[in-house]
Amino acid sequence: MGAEVKERKLIREAQRGSRDALAALYAAHWGNAQRAAYLVVHDAGAAEDIAQEAFLAAVDGLDRFDRRRPFAPWLHRIVVNRAIDWARREALRRGAGDPEDSAAAVHVDEPGAGELMPALAQLPPEQRAVVVLRYLLEYTPGEIARMLELPRGTVNSRLRRGLDRLRDLIEVER
Amino acid sequence: MSDRFDGVREARLRVLLREEPIPGAAEAKRRGLELIDSAYVERRPVQRPVLPRLVIALAVAALLAALVLSPAGAAVRDWVGDVFTAGVKNAEPALTDIPGGGDLLVQSPRGPWVVHADGSRRLLGDYDAATWSPHGLYVAVASGRSLSAIEPNGTPHWSITAPGRISDPRWSPSGFRIAYRAGRSLRVERADGSGGSLVAVASAAVPPAWYPPGPHLLAYVDAEHRLVLAEADTGKRIDVAGASPGVHRLGSAAASPGVTSLSWSNDGSELLEIARRGLWLRNVTLGKLTGLALSGTARRIAPPAGAVVRAAAFAPRHRIVAVLLERHSTAGPRSEVLLLDPAGGPPRRLFAVSGQLTELAWSPDGRRLLLAWPAADQWLFVPVARGPRLRAIGDVSSVFAPGKQGHVTFPRIEGWCC
Repeated sequence: MGAEVKERKLIREAQRGSRDALAALYAAHWGNAQRAAYLVVHDAGAAEDIAQEAFLAAVDGLDRFDRRRPFAPWLHRIVVNRAIDWARREALRRGAGDPEDSAAAVHVDEPGAGELMPALAQLPPEQRAVVVLRYLLEYTPGEIARMLELPRGTVNSRLRRGLDRLRDLIEVER
Repeated sequence: MSDRFDGVREARLRVLLREEPIPGAAEAKRRGLELIDSAYVERRPVQRPVLPRLVIALAVAALLAALVLSPAGAAVRDWVGDVFTAGVKNAEPALTDIPGGGDLLVQSPRGPWVVHADGSRRLLGDYDAATWSPHGLYVAVASGRSLSAIEPNGTPHWSITAPGRISDPRWSPSGFRIAYRAGRSLRVERADGSGGSLVAVASAAVPPAWYPPGPHLLAYVDAEHRLVLAEADTGKRIDVAGASPGVHRLGSAAASPGVTSLSWSNDGSELLEIARRGLWLRNVTLGKLTGLALSGTARRIAPPAGAVVRAAAFAPRHRIVAVLLERHSTAGPRSEVLLLDPAGGPPRRLFAVSGQLTELAWSPDGRRLLLAWPAADQWLFVPVARGPRLRAIGDVSSVFAPGKQGHVTFPRIEGWCC
């Protein structure tokens, strides 16, 4: 509750012109916005673009923002929808068979090679998005359904399919 | 669900999602804050309820301006539709000065122009190619088989005639030599016009590149597609078929496939081979007995999937490489400028637009990049460091074709000097 009150206060101050308040909002939310985008698109540059765009939209809409509503879901909704759009476009482009894609030795966009990204890469962007919303941003399936404007059953099925495919790829110690 | 993906795995997944490293995350956060703060400052003052529509319109305009004017923000402009696909909307209508100073050498259909820091410019004459001398004291110009040295005000000093059509003149950092291709041959002329030498009977159509710190060492690609490092002033000749007496060939290696240009690091320790499919970085070492030697293998830096390299160049004062990448999709071309540290680390995305940028040139102090955007008829002066903002200059082609009506060819950037 304290965090919500503090955030409302920051939004109110930002609406009144406080750069410090805006910087505090940015500090509080940039990390998750960028991370969510990155986990969906797997491209650090694109993730940066997407997170920036979401914050710019926030600045643009700041004066109209209803302080009674939480800030994060509104931001995350923009981020995740943009990220899904971007990933779909990339998938289409790759499907077109760009010959320049082949034989890369050292990619400038190369992410850190852990177990997660190859596993996530096997999921369609829509499944990646619900996994990220559920397990990184901790939204309930109902909240995810509202954010993505999907039936709750669709969210549940995407989540289930995504987790099924991740199951064998995520090692656990018992 | 939980019987398939149990709580242990859920916990592990949460940890992995939270801890997956993001390349360049800290820099991205800093850039983002600068952009957001800038957009926020420009949207003020917001005095509700005075003329709310006007305020909203101003806020949107400020936001869009920030998107365009900020290097990092420009990268996100893809999302705001087609408003700026034809160029930066608020480009300055005339070239009144060169951001950051220095003098530009620009090749137009009518010939090369010198553009001074205050925006004044002079057409040097009907020449096909040009290159700055160090410090911008002279310009070497080529026309047909003629190579000339002239002052930036157009005053001629000397001319020579070569056995073939001259292209790709390059003035040495010492100021005492000019390399050029004459037909397929590669030659070097003394900068006072008093004579020169043949470096190679046949060379590839790749501009030669002078070794920055040394005397007269020249990297070029020969007709057999070998990358060669040659010294034109020693009296020795070793193991070089096709080279003239007086050319000391210091080393060679197979050139990288498709190489179109070469760029040295400022200290001469690395040579960059630039090709559409990627960059190849080659170490150059100074041996006690053999002098300079090229390393046997080049390290490839591949562009991201789906992208090709349009241009690249080492910064003049730092070991940073600017790379202009181009991607094509159903939405059209998209260009990005990355800054790479050859020593490693994630690249920094400096700038991106939906459109086709064709050239880049570093400012003499390495603080800006000049990007050419022919389809928008614009030059973009993009700051590399914090401080100045992006400046876009519009109507560039007509600046270098005064009085001409109809289609005008966009000029080529030959150099940004001193």
